[in-house]
Amino acid sequence: MDFGLVAQYLLNGIVLGVIYSMVAAGFTLFFGVLNVIKFSHGDVVMAGAFTALAAFAGLELLDAGVGMFAALIITVAGIVAMATLGAVLARMLILPLRNAPPLNTLLITLMFGLALRESVRLFYPNGSNPKPFPQLLPDLSMTFGNLALRLDSVLLIIVGLGAIVGVHLLIQRTRIGLAVRAVAQDPETARIMGINFERVVLLTFALGSGLAALAGITNGLYYSEVNFGMGLLLGVIGFSAAVVGGLGSIYGAIIGGFLFAGLQTIGAVWFAVPAYKDVFAFGCIIVLMAWKPTGLLAERSSERV
Amino acid sequence: MSAPTLDVTGLTVRFGGLVALNSFDFALRSEELVGLIGPNGSGKTTFFNALTGIYPPASGRVTLGNDDITGLQPQRIYDAGITRTFQRLRLALSLSVFDNLMIGNHRNLYHGIKGNLFGRKRLRQQVEENVESSRRLLEQFSAPLATRLFDSVFQLPMIDRRRVEVCRALISSPQILLLDEPSAGMTHEETRALMDDLLASRERMPGLAIILIEHEMGVIERVSDRCVVLNYGQKIAEGSYRDVSGDHKVRAAYLGED
Amino acid sequence: MTPGKRDFRALIVAAGLAALFVVLFLHLEAQWAIALLALGLVLGLYFAVRAGLLARVQAAASHHPRAAIAINTIAGIAIIAVLREEHFALLMLATVCLFVTVCLGLTIQFGYAGIVNFSGIAFFGIGAYTTAVLTAHSAIPHLLIIIVSGLVSGLIGSLLILPMLRTRGHYAALVTIAFGILFRTFLEVNDTLGGPQGLKVEGMRILGWSLNDNISLGPLGTVSFYASYAMLALFVAAAAFTLIKRLERSWIGLNLDAVRTDETAAASFGIDVPRWKIFAFTAGNCLAGVAGAIYAMMSGYIAPASFNFGDSLLLVSIVLLGGSGSALGVLPAALLVVVLPEKLQIIQEYRLLLFAVLVILILRFRPDGLLPRTMREYLPGWGRK
Repeated sequence: MDFGLVAQYLLNGIVLGVIYSMVAAGFTLFFGVLNVIKFSHGDVVMAGAFTALAAFAGLELLDAGVGMFAALIITVAGIVAMATLGAVLARMLILPLRNAPPLNTLLITLMFGLALRESVRLFYPNGSNPKPFPQLLPDLSMTFGNLALRLDSVLLIIVGLGAIVGVHLLIQRTRIGLAVRAVAQDPETARIMGINFERVVLLTFALGSGLAALAGITNGLYYSEVNFGMGLLLGVIGFSAAVVGGLGSIYGAIIGGFLFAGLQTIGAVWFAVPAYKDVFAFGCIIVLMAWKPTGLLAERSSERV
Repeated sequence: MSAPTLDVTGLTVRFGGLVALNSFDFALRSEELVGLIGPNGSGKTTFFNALTGIYPPASGRVTLGNDDITGLQPQRIYDAGITRTFQRLRLALSLSVFDNLMIGNHRNLYHGIKGNLFGRKRLRQQVEENVESSRRLLEQFSAPLATRLFDSVFQLPMIDRRRVEVCRALISSPQILLLDEPSAGMTHEETRALMDDLLASRERMPGLAIILIEHEMGVIERVSDRCVVLNYGQKIAEGSYRDVSGDHKVRAAYLGED
Repeated sequence: MTPGKRDFRALIVAAGLAALFVVLFLHLEAQWAIALLALGLVLGLYFAVRAGLLARVQAAASHHPRAAIAINTIAGIAIIAVLREEHFALLMLATVCLFVTVCLGLTIQFGYAGIVNFSGIAFFGIGAYTTAVLTAHSAIPHLLIIIVSGLVSGLIGSLLILPMLRTRGHYAALVTIAFGILFRTFLEVNDTLGGPQGLKVEGMRILGWSLNDNISLGPLGTVSFYASYAMLALFVAAAAFTLIKRLERSWIGLNLDAVRTDETAAASFGIDVPRWKIFAFTAGNCLAGVAGAIYAMMSGYIAPASFNFGDSLLLVSIVLLGGSGSALGVLPAALLVVVLPEKLQIIQEYRLLLFAVLVILILRFRPDGLLPRTMREYLPGWGRK
């Protein structure tokens, strides 16, 4: 195999890794503050991409649907819409079930994801078919031998990594982040210390969901296509990545995201039938989980006896 | 004096870098009631968890009679005759009082698939016997509670839930009972009543030894034969309540002095 | 009237009403009538629970288990006899019975042992595909194939549960979700199993008699061949129901409940948590596999499109709608979830959305479901002691 092809696979793997890390970071954030798994997360990724698509349709009506400026507008639209949705979801469905068995939260979010998916399929114009996603990033590429380095891929990697690092800094370096960490450590004490628990939870859900929207839009821009079912697999992959990395740790999410992308890439090279790459990657994940049940970076122990 | 039933030597439990229990030595004779005291986080519950197989010990040895039970699975510890209650009640709230007691009587019940699903003669016999024995046991603690055998635990007040948890630990006639702060969430009078009932029912269970973790010193003073004091995972004193309560190291630990 | 006679009357009235409802629900075509019946069922059950009527019937059934089985079997046969010429109604009845069987399996897993399974339809599918392969490539008698298919589902499930044993709640959920999605992908790319087109399946034959032939009654008309399948499915569902009730009312049922409510406490009282998890998961998947086997023979053709992740969620919806751990609740819930979208054309397209919203509302406002689970009664007539 020649160098160009290897580099091509590598670049593709890195873009995927960034997308998966963004989704996984959301799972890790939610688990951190509230010890819940929000299974509708993948569908929020999808809904973010579709919101951006709708915003693009709006821009086209105004004859402004070209270039980086349009890309920026639709990205912001998607992120804001999903951040709001995330906060509303936390307020309406997740906080009220705090004292119910954890499985109920899992089920209610899973069903919310299904409702979101079905709503897009049924109510978005022609939503049951794959939709082309506009190519808004500059169509430039540099050629090194037989590797074509596309500028848009590089841009997506930079923006995606920037977003994750930004969220990480927000959590580690700011007052708001301090409140989030306090709640994650011990909700009761945080409450006594005057931290507005509910606001922190809503903020975290908004943050994670905004990141999900960015992941969905990145996915759309990279593949030039979105469909209503894309969130299901992305959500499961993001969750796997978060679990394998170790729930509750942003580094874990990044490691897990790139690990999964790496496994998929290896699977794609290995098997002739492309669909087997997922079978291979998930198989590895299941084995990894049997080996290290709490993830590569150990999650903090939650059981008190 | 009889030989020790339970013999613990050098038991150590670590969580990462933290030593939660440090080279703990402890012996318990049959029919003895030992109070285990110490400030919060001093390793009392950790000792119970290591003893019952919930946490794996880093080193040390635990024997019960002639058997080495160090680091066995919780199931095996129970089969060996050690049962416990939990600091924060761990009852199955949605199940009936009887169901909860029968969870505690697991080792005396028949669990084969055939007889549980088909035939069921043996099952019927065991159910009828256990309804009777459960009623008798509950009556030693509270006659009204014994009439609520088929109500869900969810409907019971705190004191009755405690009683059910203690009975769940007693119904299999263990050799050693571990009580983890039975007074938590109850009034003085309720705690007193529970302890009196426990002491009374102990008369009917020859050989039963008890380790009691308790914060209320009045309770410890009244019921314990002997006290062990833990601080930062280390045993700092042992002896009668009077000796221990006069010990300057113990006072320092409780008052937070060095 | 003696208490015994009153019990029998209660049982007969309840079974009669249920049978009448099922016949009307399956037979009527008018959209308003179907909508009205569905609404009536939900409200009727709600008030029957509130007014204690249902508790009376259940107490009667528990006091006379054999009579309850006999009366309900007669009611089931009566339903089939009334609908004997209607292909579609019988097909739906059989489908409901098969879904009931799968959901009873999920009840053992989720309702009792607390293991979430989001790949229920995959185990149903494993049963179906095993049957397709075995009928095509072997001479094993068909009744035996059904059993083998159930065992294959159970076996594959027990491999899947090994990684789940070392992890808790959420991770276990992930494993089943991943498996459910992978199963469908695997079927689509695997050419030996027919790829996206799927496989044809022979109709069932018992001792040379084919269940796919209509039965002529001479001047009395013709009985649809679906009546035979409906009878078989009814029998399987009834057997599963009896088995599950017995399981619940035994020490094993208690062990499973202990595992669900608190694994640490369960282990501290000698309960072998992994053993009972494996038992529950395997038993549940066997039931799903058996149902899938009959489904394959009945429909004559299976394809990956019938085994979507969404369908697994539909199965979970049935269990939650009926009431988690409530075997009785599975019956009306399966009837509603399977039949309503088929009969009410307006909602056919929207059924997943509708049931998703329904489950969200149930979890939020009535987590015990339509027919909440009642206290365990180990012996007949327990409640009257």
